Amino acid sequence: MSAVTACTWGAGSNETEELLTLARKLSSDGGGEFVWAVVGPADAAALQETAGKHGVTRIDRIESAALESYGADAYVEALAAYCEQREPSKLLFSQTFDARTVAPRLAGRTNTPVVMNALDLASGDEGRLLVTASAFGGDTRAVYRVAGDRAIVCVMANAVAAEPAGTATTPAIERVDVTPAGDERVRVVEAARTEGPRLEDAQVIVAGGRGLGDAANFALVQQLAEALGGMAAASRPIVDDGWTDAAKQIGLTGKIVRPALYIAAGISGASQHMAGCAAAKTIVAINRDPDAAIFRYARYGIVGDCVELLPELTKQVGR
Amino acid sequence: MPSIRIVVCAKEVPDPDAVNSYAVAGRLEIGDDGKTLTQTAIPRLMNAYDEQAIEAALRLRDAGAECRIDVVTAGRDAASLLRHAAALGADEIAAIDVDASAIDYHVAARLLAAYIETTGGADLVLCGRQASDDDQGVVPALIGERLGMPLITVARDVQLADGSAVRVTRVTPDGDEVVEAACPAVVTVSSELGPPRYPTARQTMAARKKQATVLSPGELGVGDEEMAPRVELVRQFVPEIHGNCEMVTGETAVEQAANLIAAFRESGVLS
Ligand SMILES: Cc1cc2nc3c(=O)[nH]c(=O)nc-3n(C[C@H](O)[C@H](O)[C@H](O)COP(=O)(O)OP(=O)(O)OC[C@H]3O[C@@H](n4cnc5c(N)ncnc54)[C@H](O)[C@@H]3O)c2cc1C
Repeated sequence: MSAVTACTWGAGSNETEELLTLARKLSSDGGGEFVWAVVGPADAAALQETAGKHGVTRIDRIESAALESYGADAYVEALAAYCEQREPSKLLFSQTFDARTVAPRLAGRTNTPVVMNALDLASGDEGRLLVTASAFGGDTRAVYRVAGDRAIVCVMANAVAAEPAGTATTPAIERVDVTPAGDERVRVVEAARTEGPRLEDAQVIVAGGRGLGDAANFALVQQLAEALGGMAAASRPIVDDGWTDAAKQIGLTGKIVRPALYIAAGISGASQHMAGCAAAKTIVAINRDPDAAIFRYARYGIVGDCVELLPELTKQVGR
Repeated sequence: MPSIRIVVCAKEVPDPDAVNSYAVAGRLEIGDDGKTLTQTAIPRLMNAYDEQAIEAALRLRDAGAECRIDVVTAGRDAASLLRHAAALGADEIAAIDVDASAIDYHVAARLLAAYIETTGGADLVLCGRQASDDDQGVVPALIGERLGMPLITVARDVQLADGSAVRVTRVTPDGDEVVEAACPAVVTVSSELGPPRYPTARQTMAARKKQATVLSPGELGVGDEEMAPRVELVRQFVPEIHGNCEMVTGETAVEQAANLIAAFRESGVLS
Protein backbone atom coordinates (compact mmCIF):
# COMPACT_ATOMS: atom_id res chain seq x y z
CA MET A 1 0.00 0.00 0.00
CA SER A 2 1.22 3.47 -0.78
CA ALA A 3 2.33 5.54 2.16
CA VAL A 4 3.08 9.19 2.75
CA THR A 5 5.99 9.10 5.14
CA ALA A 6 7.33 12.07 7.05
CA CYS A 7 10.95 11.47 8.01
CA THR A 8 12.89 13.12 10.82
CA TRP A 9 16.19 12.65 12.60
CA GLY A 10 15.09 11.90 16.16
CA ALA A 11 12.02 13.86 17.16
CA GLY A 12 12.90 16.41 14.49
CA SER A 13 13.15 20.17 14.49
CA ASN A 14 10.94 23.18 15.14
CA GLU A 15 9.28 22.39 11.83
CA THR A 16 8.24 18.80 12.51
CA GLU A 17 4.61 19.65 13.22
CA GLU A 18 4.43 21.65 9.99
CA LEU A 19 5.84 18.66 8.15
CA LEU A 20 3.29 16.34 9.72
CA THR A 21 0.52 18.78 8.82
CA LEU A 22 1.53 18.81 5.16
CA ALA A 23 2.09 15.05 5.08
CA ARG A 24 -1.40 14.47 6.50
CA LYS A 25 -2.89 16.75 3.88
CA LEU A 26 -1.15 14.83 1.10
CA SER A 27 -2.13 11.44 2.48
CA SER A 28 -5.79 12.40 2.75
CA ASP A 29 -5.52 13.86 -0.77
CA GLY A 30 -4.11 10.71 -2.31
CA GLY A 31 -5.17 8.00 0.11
CA GLY A 32 -2.87 5.53 1.78
CA GLU A 33 -1.15 5.33 5.10
CA PHE A 34 0.35 8.25 6.96
CA VAL A 35 3.62 7.16 8.51
CA TRP A 36 6.27 8.97 10.55
CA ALA A 37 9.73 7.46 10.16
CA VAL A 38 11.98 8.43 13.04
CA VAL A 39 15.70 7.77 12.58
CA GLY A 40 17.98 7.67 15.61
CA PRO A 41 17.21 8.13 19.28
CA ALA A 42 14.00 9.81 20.43
CA ASP A 43 11.65 9.69 23.39
CA ALA A 44 8.87 7.23 22.50
CA ALA A 45 6.16 8.82 24.62
CA ALA A 46 6.76 12.27 23.18
CA LEU A 47 6.78 10.87 19.64
CA GLN A 48 3.51 9.08 20.21
CA GLU A 49 1.87 12.18 21.60
CA THR A 50 2.92 14.40 18.68
CA ALA A 51 2.09 11.69 16.16
CA GLY A 52 -1.33 11.04 17.68
CA LYS A 53 -2.18 14.72 17.64
CA HIS A 54 -1.38 14.86 13.93
CA GLY A 55 -3.27 11.73 12.93
CA VAL A 56 -0.24 9.58 12.11
CA THR A 57 -1.24 5.93 11.58
CA ARG A 58 2.15 4.37 12.32
CA ILE A 59 5.54 5.35 13.67
CA ASP A 60 8.50 3.48 12.18
CA ARG A 61 11.49 3.57 14.51
CA ILE A 62 14.80 3.19 12.71
CA GLU A 63 17.49 2.65 15.29
CA SER A 64 20.89 1.01 15.42
CA ALA A 65 24.26 1.46 17.07
CA ALA A 66 25.51 3.51 14.11
CA LEU A 67 22.56 5.87 14.52
CA GLU A 68 23.22 6.82 18.14
CA SER A 69 24.63 10.12 16.93
CA TYR A 70 24.14 11.91 13.63
CA GLY A 71 26.22 10.92 10.65
CA ALA A 72 25.19 11.59 7.06
CA ASP A 73 26.51 8.32 5.62
CA ALA A 74 24.79 6.20 8.25
CA TYR A 75 21.59 8.21 7.89
CA VAL A 76 21.49 7.77 4.10
CA GLU A 77 22.36 4.10 4.31
CA ALA A 78 19.72 3.45 6.97
CA LEU A 79 17.04 5.25 4.98
CA ALA A 80 17.97 3.46 1.76
CA ALA A 81 17.53 0.15 3.58
CA TYR A 82 14.26 1.39 5.05
CA CYS A 83 12.97 2.40 1.61
CA GLU A 84 13.79 -1.04 0.27
CA GLN A 85 11.89 -2.76 3.07
CA ARG A 86 8.87 -0.48 3.36
CA GLU A 87 8.69 1.13 -0.06
CA PRO A 88 7.26 4.47 1.09
CA SER A 89 5.78 6.20 -1.90
CA LYS A 90 6.30 9.79 -0.79
CA LEU A 91 9.10 10.50 1.65
CA LEU A 92 8.99 14.02 3.10
CA PHE A 93 11.66 15.89 5.05
CA SER A 94 11.76 19.29 6.70
CA GLN A 95 14.43 21.21 4.84
CA THR A 96 16.94 21.52 7.65
CA PHE A 97 20.63 22.08 6.94
CA ASP A 98 21.29 18.34 7.24
CA ALA A 99 18.25 17.30 5.21
CA ARG A 100 19.52 19.48 2.38
CA THR A 101 22.35 16.97 2.05
CA VAL A 102 20.63 13.76 3.08
CA ALA A 103 17.46 13.98 0.96
CA PRO A 104 19.14 14.40 -2.44
CA ARG A 105 21.76 11.81 -1.55
CA LEU A 106 19.03 9.34 -0.67
CA ALA A 107 17.35 10.20 -3.97
CA GLY A 108 20.55 9.35 -5.79
CA ARG A 109 21.07 6.18 -3.78
CA THR A 110 17.54 4.88 -4.36
CA ASN A 111 17.07 6.33 -7.84
CA THR A 112 14.05 8.35 -6.73
CA PRO A 113 13.05 11.80 -8.05
CA VAL A 114 13.62 14.59 -5.53
CA VAL A 115 12.27 18.14 -5.17
CA MET A 116 13.57 20.72 -2.71
CA ASN A 117 12.13 24.04 -1.45
CA ALA A 118 8.58 22.70 -1.40
CA LEU A 119 5.82 24.96 -0.14
CA ASP A 120 2.80 22.85 -1.04
CA LEU A 121 2.01 19.35 -2.21
CA ALA A 122 -0.96 17.95 -4.05
CA SER A 123 -2.00 14.83 -5.83
CA GLY A 124 -2.62 15.61 -9.51
CA ASP A 125 -3.93 13.66 -12.51
CA GLU A 126 -3.39 9.91 -12.20
CA GLY A 127 -2.09 10.43 -8.70
CA ARG A 128 1.03 12.23 -9.96
CA LEU A 129 2.61 14.31 -7.23
CA LEU A 130 2.53 18.06 -7.82
CA VAL A 131 5.05 20.05 -5.83
CA THR A 132 4.85 23.83 -5.58
CA ALA A 133 8.34 25.03 -4.79
CA SER A 134 10.02 28.37 -4.36
CA ALA A 135 12.28 29.35 -7.27
CA PHE A 136 14.44 32.35 -8.17
CA GLY A 137 14.99 33.01 -4.50
CA GLY A 138 11.26 33.41 -3.96
CA ASP A 139 10.57 35.68 -6.93
CA THR A 140 8.55 32.86 -8.47
CA ARG A 141 6.83 29.61 -7.61
CA ALA A 142 7.52 26.57 -9.75
CA VAL A 143 5.04 23.72 -9.96
CA TYR A 144 6.74 20.40 -10.67
CA ARG A 145 5.04 17.16 -11.67
CA VAL A 146 6.87 14.05 -10.58
CA ALA A 147 6.78 10.97 -12.81
CA GLY A 148 6.16 7.57 -11.24
CA ASP A 149 4.72 7.09 -7.80
CA ARG A 150 7.80 7.53 -5.66
CA ALA A 151 9.22 10.88 -4.65
CA ILE A 152 11.43 12.50 -2.04
CA VAL A 153 10.50 16.06 -1.08
CA CYS A 154 12.09 18.63 1.21
CA VAL A 155 9.63 21.10 2.71
CA MET A 156 10.76 24.64 3.51
CA ALA A 157 10.36 26.04 6.99
CA ASN A 158 7.16 28.04 7.40
CA ALA A 159 5.60 26.46 4.29
CA VAL A 160 2.40 25.77 6.20
CA ALA A 161 1.06 26.52 9.64
CA ALA A 162 1.09 23.50 11.95
CA GLU A 163 -2.42 22.30 12.64
CA PRO A 164 -3.52 19.22 14.57
CA ALA A 165 -5.68 16.56 12.90
CA GLY A 166 -9.46 16.67 13.31
CA THR A 167 -9.35 13.25 14.94
CA ALA A 168 -6.41 12.14 16.99
CA THR A 169 -4.96 8.65 16.54
CA THR A 170 -3.08 6.18 18.68
CA PRO A 171 -0.32 5.23 16.29
CA ALA A 172 1.37 1.87 16.52
CA ILE A 173 5.13 1.88 16.88
CA GLU A 174 7.06 -0.52 14.70
CA ARG A 175 10.73 -1.24 14.75
CA VAL A 176 12.53 -1.42 11.44
CA ASP A 177 15.75 -3.36 11.40
CA VAL A 178 18.57 -1.69 9.58
CA THR A 179 22.29 -2.02 10.21
CA PRO A 180 24.21 0.79 8.55
CA ALA A 181 27.98 0.39 8.72
CA GLY A 182 28.51 3.69 10.41
CA ASP A 183 31.97 4.57 9.22
CA GLU A 184 31.58 8.12 8.01
CA ARG A 185 33.65 9.08 5.00
CA VAL A 186 33.60 12.73 6.02
CA ARG A 187 35.44 13.22 9.30
CA VAL A 188 34.83 16.26 11.50
CA VAL A 189 38.16 17.83 12.36
CA GLU A 190 36.78 20.87 14.18
CA ALA A 191 33.17 20.88 15.26
CA ALA A 192 31.03 23.97 14.84
CA ARG A 193 30.56 25.77 18.09
CA THR A 194 26.93 26.41 18.91
CA GLU A 195 27.08 29.91 20.21
CA GLY A 196 24.32 30.60 22.71
CA PRO A 197 20.75 31.33 21.64
CA ARG A 198 19.57 30.53 18.13
CA LEU A 199 18.07 33.08 15.75
CA GLU A 200 15.48 30.43 14.88
CA ASP A 201 14.15 30.67 18.45
CA ALA A 202 14.36 34.44 18.87
CA GLN A 203 11.16 36.37 19.50
CA VAL A 204 12.68 39.70 18.48
CA ILE A 205 15.23 40.16 15.70
CA VAL A 206 16.81 43.40 14.51
CA ALA A 207 18.48 42.93 11.13
CA GLY A 208 20.80 45.33 9.34
CA GLY A 209 21.67 45.60 5.66
CA ARG A 210 23.86 47.52 3.29
CA GLY A 211 21.92 50.68 4.16
CA LEU A 212 23.86 50.83 7.42
CA GLY A 213 26.54 52.34 5.24
CA ASP A 214 29.49 51.24 7.32
CA ALA A 215 30.70 48.18 9.24
CA ALA A 216 30.88 50.12 12.50
CA ASN A 217 27.17 50.86 12.29
CA PHE A 218 26.32 47.20 12.81
CA ALA A 219 26.80 48.01 16.50
CA LEU A 220 23.63 50.13 16.25
CA VAL A 221 21.71 47.02 15.20
CA GLN A 222 23.16 45.05 18.10
CA GLN A 223 22.33 47.78 20.59
CA LEU A 224 18.67 47.93 19.58
CA ALA A 225 18.47 44.13 19.59
CA GLU A 226 19.85 44.11 23.10
CA ALA A 227 17.48 46.86 24.29
CA LEU A 228 14.56 44.78 22.98
CA GLY A 229 15.86 41.55 24.50
CA GLY A 230 16.31 40.13 21.00
CA MET A 231 19.05 39.11 18.61
CA ALA A 232 20.93 40.88 15.83
CA ALA A 233 20.94 39.56 12.25
CA ALA A 234 22.04 40.64 8.79
CA SER A 235 21.47 40.53 5.05
CA ARG A 236 23.96 38.71 2.86
CA PRO A 237 25.99 41.61 1.43
CA ILE A 238 27.14 42.78 4.85
CA VAL A 239 28.05 39.23 5.79
CA ASP A 240 29.99 38.96 2.53
CA ASP A 241 31.76 42.20 3.38
CA GLY A 242 32.65 40.96 6.84
CA TRP A 243 30.60 43.47 8.85
CA THR A 244 29.33 40.52 10.85
CA ASP A 245 29.58 36.73 10.79
CA ALA A 246 27.79 34.28 8.50
CA ALA A 247 25.79 32.74 11.35
CA LYS A 248 23.74 35.95 11.40
CA GLN A 249 22.65 35.82 7.77
CA ILE A 250 18.91 35.66 7.23
CA GLY A 251 17.50 34.39 3.96
CA LEU A 252 17.36 31.71 1.34
CA THR A 253 20.94 30.71 1.97
CA GLY A 254 21.02 31.81 5.58
CA LYS A 255 18.60 31.24 8.41
CA ILE A 256 14.85 31.01 8.19
CA VAL A 257 13.26 32.64 11.20
CA ARG A 258 9.83 33.38 12.56
CA PRO A 259 10.07 35.95 15.34
CA ALA A 260 7.16 37.96 16.69
CA LEU A 261 8.99 41.14 15.69
CA TYR A 262 11.51 41.58 12.84
CA ILE A 263 13.00 45.04 12.41
CA ALA A 264 14.82 45.42 9.08
CA ALA A 265 17.10 48.44 8.90
CA GLY A 266 18.65 49.43 5.58
CA ILE A 267 17.50 46.23 3.87
CA SER A 268 15.93 46.51 0.42
CA GLY A 269 13.66 43.46 0.69
CA ALA A 270 15.07 41.21 -2.07
CA SER A 271 13.14 37.95 -2.25
CA GLN A 272 16.24 35.97 -1.23
CA HIS A 273 16.31 37.91 2.03
CA MET A 274 12.57 37.79 2.59
CA ALA A 275 12.64 33.99 2.11
CA GLY A 276 14.22 33.94 5.55
CA CYS A 277 11.94 36.31 7.43
CA ALA A 278 8.63 36.76 5.61
CA ALA A 279 6.90 34.57 8.20
CA ALA A 280 7.69 36.98 11.05
CA LYS A 281 4.50 38.10 12.75
CA THR A 282 5.29 41.80 12.56
CA ILE A 283 7.89 43.21 10.17
CA VAL A 284 9.10 46.76 10.60
CA ALA A 285 11.04 48.34 7.76
CA ILE A 286 13.34 51.32 8.08
CA ASN A 287 14.50 52.45 4.68
CA ARG A 288 15.48 55.72 3.07
CA ASP A 289 13.76 54.80 -0.18
CA PRO A 290 9.95 55.08 0.02
CA ASP A 291 9.67 52.62 -2.90
CA ALA A 292 11.83 49.91 -1.32
CA ALA A 293 10.39 46.40 -1.78
CA ILE A 294 10.63 45.72 1.94
CA PHE A 295 7.63 47.97 2.59
CA ARG A 296 5.44 45.48 0.70
CA TYR A 297 6.13 42.90 3.40
CA ALA A 298 6.15 45.24 6.37
CA ARG A 299 3.40 45.95 8.89
CA TYR A 300 5.04 49.25 9.88
CA GLY A 301 7.37 51.34 7.78
CA ILE A 302 9.53 54.35 8.42
CA VAL A 303 11.06 56.28 5.57
CA GLY A 304 14.27 57.60 7.02
CA ASP A 305 17.93 57.14 7.83
CA CYS A 306 18.49 53.97 9.83
CA VAL A 307 21.78 55.31 11.19
CA GLU A 308 19.79 58.00 12.96
CA LEU A 309 16.73 55.93 13.79
CA LEU A 310 18.39 52.88 15.33
CA PRO A 311 20.08 54.72 18.23
CA GLU A 312 16.96 56.80 18.77
CA LEU A 313 14.84 53.66 19.05
CA THR A 314 17.38 52.11 21.41
CA LYS A 315 17.22 55.18 23.60
CA GLN A 316 13.43 55.33 23.70
CA VAL A 317 12.88 51.59 24.16
CA GLY A 318 15.10 51.77 27.21
CA ARG A 319 12.82 54.27 28.89
CA MET B 1 52.98 15.83 -5.45
CA PRO B 2 51.16 13.95 -8.20
CA SER B 3 48.95 15.96 -10.50
CA ILE B 4 45.25 15.79 -9.73
CA ARG B 5 42.17 16.44 -11.81
CA ILE B 6 39.54 18.87 -10.63
CA VAL B 7 36.22 18.96 -12.48
CA VAL B 8 33.98 21.98 -11.94
CA CYS B 9 30.34 21.73 -12.99
CA ALA B 10 28.80 25.02 -14.07
CA LYS B 11 25.46 26.23 -15.32
CA GLU B 12 24.13 29.36 -16.95
CA VAL B 13 21.24 31.19 -15.26
CA PRO B 14 19.27 34.40 -15.79
CA ASP B 15 21.02 37.21 -13.88
CA PRO B 16 19.39 37.01 -10.43
CA ASP B 17 19.83 40.74 -9.77
CA ALA B 18 17.93 41.53 -12.97
CA VAL B 19 15.23 39.01 -12.04
CA ASN B 20 14.97 40.68 -8.62
CA SER B 21 14.69 44.13 -10.17
CA TYR B 22 11.86 42.99 -12.41
CA ALA B 23 10.16 41.30 -9.48
CA VAL B 24 10.40 44.40 -7.30
CA ALA B 25 9.04 46.55 -10.11
CA GLY B 26 6.15 44.09 -10.51
CA ARG B 27 7.22 43.39 -14.07
CA LEU B 28 8.30 39.79 -13.83
CA GLU B 29 6.32 37.91 -16.44
CA ILE B 30 5.77 34.30 -17.32
CA GLY B 31 5.57 33.49 -21.03
CA ASP B 32 2.70 31.97 -23.00
CA ASP B 33 3.82 28.46 -22.12
CA GLY B 34 2.89 29.27 -18.52
CA LYS B 35 6.23 28.21 -17.17
CA THR B 36 9.17 30.14 -18.59
CA LEU B 37 10.26 33.58 -17.48
CA THR B 38 9.88 36.14 -20.23
CA GLN B 39 13.47 37.13 -20.15
CA THR B 40 14.39 38.89 -23.34
CA ALA B 41 15.91 41.73 -21.33
CA ILE B 42 17.46 39.57 -18.63
CA PRO B 43 21.09 38.72 -19.35
CA ARG B 44 22.30 35.19 -18.77
CA LEU B 45 25.47 34.51 -16.89
CA MET B 46 27.34 31.82 -15.03
CA ASN B 47 25.63 30.88 -11.77
CA ALA B 48 27.58 32.87 -9.16
CA TYR B 49 28.19 29.89 -6.87
CA ASP B 50 29.61 27.94 -9.83
CA GLU B 51 31.94 30.81 -10.55
CA GLN B 52 33.04 30.57 -6.93
CA ALA B 53 33.58 26.83 -7.40
CA ILE B 54 35.99 27.68 -10.23
CA GLU B 55 37.58 30.25 -7.92
CA ALA B 56 38.07 27.55 -5.28
CA ALA B 57 39.84 25.40 -7.87
CA LEU B 58 42.05 28.29 -8.97
CA ARG B 59 43.00 29.01 -5.37
CA LEU B 60 44.16 25.41 -4.99
CA ARG B 61 46.32 25.89 -8.06
CA ASP B 62 47.61 29.23 -6.69
CA ALA B 63 48.48 27.48 -3.44
CA GLY B 64 50.77 25.17 -5.36
CA ALA B 65 48.63 22.15 -6.10
CA GLU B 66 49.59 20.55 -9.38
CA CYS B 67 46.22 20.24 -10.93
CA ARG B 68 44.29 20.18 -14.12
CA ILE B 69 41.01 22.11 -13.95
CA ASP B 70 38.22 21.11 -16.31
CA VAL B 71 34.90 22.93 -16.49
CA VAL B 72 31.82 21.16 -17.82
CA THR B 73 28.23 22.20 -18.42
CA ALA B 74 25.18 20.16 -19.36
CA GLY B 75 23.63 22.09 -22.21
CA ARG B 76 24.29 23.51 -25.64
CA ASP B 77 24.39 27.29 -26.22
CA ALA B 78 26.93 27.62 -23.43
CA ALA B 79 29.65 29.28 -25.47
CA SER B 80 29.92 32.40 -23.34
CA LEU B 81 29.91 30.46 -20.08
CA LEU B 82 32.70 28.20 -21.32
CA ARG B 83 34.69 31.11 -22.71
CA HIS B 84 34.52 32.75 -19.31
CA ALA B 85 35.69 29.51 -17.68
CA ALA B 86 38.58 29.30 -20.14
CA ALA B 87 39.54 32.91 -19.48
CA LEU B 88 39.62 32.18 -15.78
CA GLY B 89 42.07 29.38 -16.38
CA ALA B 90 40.23 26.16 -17.14
CA ASP B 91 42.41 23.60 -18.91
CA GLU B 92 39.51 21.96 -20.67
CA ILE B 93 36.05 23.33 -21.31
CA ALA B 94 33.33 20.87 -22.19
CA ALA B 95 29.68 20.99 -23.12
CA ILE B 96 27.27 18.12 -23.12
CA ASP B 97 25.11 18.50 -26.18
CA VAL B 98 21.57 18.52 -24.77
CA ASP B 99 18.69 20.97 -24.67
CA ALA B 100 18.97 22.10 -21.04
CA SER B 101 15.27 22.94 -20.89
CA ALA B 102 14.30 19.40 -21.89
CA ILE B 103 16.10 17.58 -19.08
CA ASP B 104 15.71 17.64 -15.30
CA TYR B 105 18.48 17.77 -12.69
CA HIS B 106 18.50 13.98 -12.42
CA VAL B 107 19.41 13.74 -16.08
CA ALA B 108 21.89 16.62 -15.73
CA ALA B 109 23.61 14.84 -12.84
CA ARG B 110 23.64 11.56 -14.78
CA LEU B 111 25.30 13.29 -17.74
CA LEU B 112 27.83 15.19 -15.63
CA ALA B 113 28.75 12.02 -13.75
CA ALA B 114 29.13 10.20 -17.07
CA TYR B 115 31.40 12.98 -18.34
CA ILE B 116 33.60 12.65 -15.26
CA GLU B 117 33.71 8.87 -15.51
CA THR B 118 34.41 8.59 -19.21
CA THR B 119 37.06 11.31 -19.31
CA GLY B 120 39.38 9.82 -16.76
CA GLY B 121 37.61 10.39 -13.45
CA ALA B 122 38.26 13.20 -11.00
CA ASP B 123 40.03 13.61 -7.69
CA LEU B 124 37.82 16.52 -6.77
CA VAL B 125 34.46 17.60 -8.15
CA LEU B 126 33.54 21.18 -7.32
CA CYS B 127 30.03 22.59 -7.77
CA GLY B 128 28.15 25.67 -6.64
CA ARG B 129 25.92 24.99 -3.64
CA GLN B 130 22.82 25.64 -5.76
CA ALA B 131 21.79 27.44 -8.94
CA SER B 132 20.04 30.76 -8.54
CA ASP B 133 17.25 29.87 -10.98
CA ASP B 134 15.63 26.82 -9.43
CA ASP B 135 17.57 26.93 -6.13
CA GLN B 136 17.35 23.13 -6.01
CA GLY B 137 20.98 22.33 -5.21
CA VAL B 138 20.62 18.58 -5.69
CA VAL B 139 22.96 17.91 -8.63
CA PRO B 140 26.16 17.66 -6.53
CA ALA B 141 24.58 15.06 -4.23
CA LEU B 142 23.28 13.07 -7.20
CA ILE B 143 26.73 13.13 -8.86
CA GLY B 144 28.32 12.04 -5.59
CA GLU B 145 25.98 9.09 -5.22
CA ARG B 146 26.39 8.08 -8.85
CA LEU B 147 30.17 8.08 -8.57
CA GLY B 148 30.31 6.75 -5.02
CA MET B 149 32.04 9.89 -3.75
CA PRO B 150 31.46 11.54 -0.37
CA LEU B 151 29.71 14.92 -0.43
CA ILE B 152 30.77 18.00 1.51
CA THR B 153 28.41 20.96 1.19
CA VAL B 154 28.52 24.73 1.70
CA ALA B 155 32.27 25.31 1.69
CA ARG B 156 33.89 28.63 2.49
CA ASP B 157 37.40 27.21 2.15
CA VAL B 158 38.78 24.21 0.32
CA GLN B 159 42.30 22.85 0.88
CA LEU B 160 44.10 19.78 -0.33
CA ALA B 161 45.94 17.74 2.25
CA ASP B 162 48.89 15.99 0.51
CA GLY B 163 46.81 15.57 -2.64
CA SER B 164 44.86 12.60 -1.42
CA ALA B 165 42.42 14.25 0.97
CA VAL B 166 40.35 17.40 0.95
CA ARG B 167 39.91 19.61 3.98
CA VAL B 168 36.90 21.89 3.91
CA THR B 169 35.58 24.64 6.15
CA ARG B 170 31.80 24.49 5.97
CA VAL B 171 29.39 27.26 6.89
CA THR B 172 26.83 25.58 9.14
CA PRO B 173 23.97 27.17 11.08
CA ASP B 174 26.03 26.63 14.23
CA GLY B 175 29.15 28.29 12.86
CA ASP B 176 32.13 27.02 10.90
CA GLU B 177 32.93 23.32 10.84
CA VAL B 178 36.14 21.83 9.49
CA VAL B 179 35.87 18.41 7.88
CA GLU B 180 38.14 16.11 5.93
CA ALA B 181 37.52 13.34 3.42
CA ALA B 182 39.70 11.19 1.24
CA CYS B 183 39.64 12.08 -2.46
CA PRO B 184 37.81 11.64 -4.71
CA ALA B 185 35.07 13.80 -3.23
CA VAL B 186 32.35 16.23 -4.28
CA VAL B 187 32.43 19.65 -2.62
CA THR B 188 29.85 22.42 -3.01
CA VAL B 189 30.96 26.02 -2.67
CA SER B 190 29.06 28.86 -1.04
CA SER B 191 29.22 32.64 -1.34
CA GLU B 192 31.29 32.83 1.85
CA LEU B 193 34.28 31.70 -0.22
CA GLY B 194 34.52 35.32 -1.32
CA PRO B 195 34.34 37.06 -4.68
CA PRO B 196 35.73 35.28 -7.72
CA ARG B 197 38.55 36.90 -9.69
CA TYR B 198 38.09 38.64 -13.03
CA PRO B 199 39.99 37.39 -16.03
CA THR B 200 42.50 39.84 -17.48
CA ALA B 201 41.98 41.27 -20.96
CA ARG B 202 44.77 39.05 -22.24
CA GLN B 203 43.17 35.94 -20.73
CA THR B 204 39.84 36.89 -22.24
CA MET B 205 41.43 37.29 -25.67
CA ALA B 206 43.27 33.98 -25.43
CA ALA B 207 40.10 32.20 -24.30
CA ARG B 208 38.41 33.01 -27.59
CA LYS B 209 40.69 30.55 -29.32
CA LYS B 210 40.00 27.75 -26.90
CA GLN B 211 37.92 24.95 -28.38
CA ALA B 212 35.24 23.39 -26.27
CA THR B 213 34.93 19.64 -26.21
CA VAL B 214 31.37 18.78 -27.19
CA LEU B 215 30.03 15.40 -26.20
CA SER B 216 26.66 13.86 -26.92
CA PRO B 217 24.84 11.78 -24.31
CA GLY B 218 25.42 8.75 -26.54
CA GLU B 219 29.17 9.35 -26.52
CA LEU B 220 29.00 9.44 -22.74
CA GLY B 221 27.16 6.13 -22.69
CA VAL B 222 23.88 7.63 -21.54
CA GLY B 223 21.02 5.99 -23.43
CA ASP B 224 17.76 7.57 -24.56
CA GLU B 225 15.86 5.77 -21.83
CA GLU B 226 17.89 7.69 -19.25
CA MET B 227 17.18 11.05 -20.86
CA ALA B 228 13.53 11.35 -19.85
CA PRO B 229 12.97 13.96 -17.13
CA ARG B 230 11.14 12.69 -14.05
CA VAL B 231 10.72 16.08 -12.42
CA GLU B 232 8.92 18.27 -14.91
CA LEU B 233 8.19 21.96 -14.59
CA VAL B 234 4.53 22.32 -15.53
CA ARG B 235 3.78 25.82 -14.37
CA GLN B 236 5.50 28.87 -12.93
CA PHE B 237 3.89 31.92 -11.40
CA VAL B 238 4.76 35.09 -9.56
CA PRO B 239 3.45 35.01 -5.99
CA GLU B 240 1.36 37.89 -4.78
CA ILE B 241 2.54 39.82 -1.77
CA HIS B 242 -0.29 41.18 0.29
CA GLY B 243 1.14 44.33 1.78
CA ASN B 244 -0.64 46.31 4.48
CA CYS B 245 2.13 48.63 5.55
CA GLU B 246 1.28 51.48 7.87
CA MET B 247 3.74 54.32 7.40
CA VAL B 248 4.96 55.79 10.66
CA THR B 249 5.68 59.47 10.18
CA GLY B 250 7.31 62.28 12.14
CA GLU B 251 9.21 65.49 11.52
CA THR B 252 12.41 64.12 13.04
CA ALA B 253 13.97 60.77 13.84
CA VAL B 254 13.05 61.37 17.49
CA GLU B 255 9.40 61.76 16.57
CA GLN B 256 9.41 58.82 14.17
CA ALA B 257 10.95 56.58 16.83
CA ALA B 258 8.40 57.73 19.42
CA ASN B 259 5.52 57.13 17.02
CA LEU B 260 6.77 53.65 16.15
CA ILE B 261 7.08 52.68 19.79
CA ALA B 262 3.59 54.07 20.42
CA ALA B 263 2.26 51.96 17.53
CA PHE B 264 4.00 48.90 19.03
CA ARG B 265 2.40 49.51 22.42
CA GLU B 266 -1.03 50.09 20.90
CA SER B 267 -0.96 46.89 18.85
CA GLY B 268 0.61 44.81 21.60
CA VAL B 269 3.84 44.13 19.68
CA LEU B 270 5.68 45.46 22.72
CA SER B 271 4.07 45.38 26.11
C1 LIG C 1 21.26 32.67 -5.03
C2 LIG C 1 21.18 33.86 -4.13
C3 LIG C 1 21.04 33.67 -2.78
C4 LIG C 1 20.94 34.77 -1.92
N1 LIG C 1 20.76 34.54 -0.57
C5 LIG C 1 20.58 35.60 0.24
C6 LIG C 1 20.31 35.42 1.63
O1 LIG C 1 20.26 34.28 2.14
N2 LIG C 1 20.13 36.50 2.40
C7 LIG C 1 20.17 37.79 1.89
O2 LIG C 1 19.97 38.75 2.66
N3 LIG C 1 20.44 37.99 0.59
C8 LIG C 1 20.65 36.94 -0.24
N4 LIG C 1 20.92 37.17 -1.57
C9 LIG C 1 21.16 38.56 -2.02
C10 LIG C 1 19.88 39.34 -2.30
O3 LIG C 1 19.48 39.10 -3.63
C11 LIG C 1 20.11 40.85 -2.12
O4 LIG C 1 21.17 41.25 -2.94
C12 LIG C 1 20.43 41.24 -0.68
O5 LIG C 1 19.47 40.70 0.20
C13 LIG C 1 20.44 42.75 -0.56
O6 LIG C 1 20.90 43.12 0.72
P1 LIG C 1 20.57 44.55 1.34
O7 LIG C 1 19.11 44.72 1.36
O8 LIG C 1 21.31 44.66 2.61
O9 LIG C 1 21.29 45.54 0.31
P2 LIG C 1 20.69 46.45 -0.83
O10 LIG C 1 19.82 45.69 -1.74
O11 LIG C 1 21.83 47.19 -1.39
O12 LIG C 1 19.73 47.45 -0.07
C14 LIG C 1 20.15 48.46 0.78
C15 LIG C 1 18.91 49.23 1.18
O13 LIG C 1 19.23 50.17 2.17
C16 LIG C 1 18.56 51.40 1.88
N5 LIG C 1 19.37 52.45 2.50
C17 LIG C 1 20.53 52.99 2.06
N6 LIG C 1 21.00 53.88 2.95
C18 LIG C 1 20.10 53.91 3.96
C19 LIG C 1 20.02 54.63 5.18
N7 LIG C 1 20.99 55.49 5.55
N8 LIG C 1 18.96 54.42 5.97
C20 LIG C 1 17.98 53.56 5.62
N9 LIG C 1 18.02 52.84 4.48
C21 LIG C 1 19.07 53.02 3.67
C22 LIG C 1 18.46 51.45 0.39
O14 LIG C 1 17.36 52.26 0.02
C23 LIG C 1 18.24 49.98 0.04
O15 LIG C 1 16.87 49.66 0.01
C24 LIG C 1 21.02 36.09 -2.44
C25 LIG C 1 21.17 36.26 -3.81
C26 LIG C 1 21.25 35.19 -4.66
C27 LIG C 1 21.39 35.42 -6.13
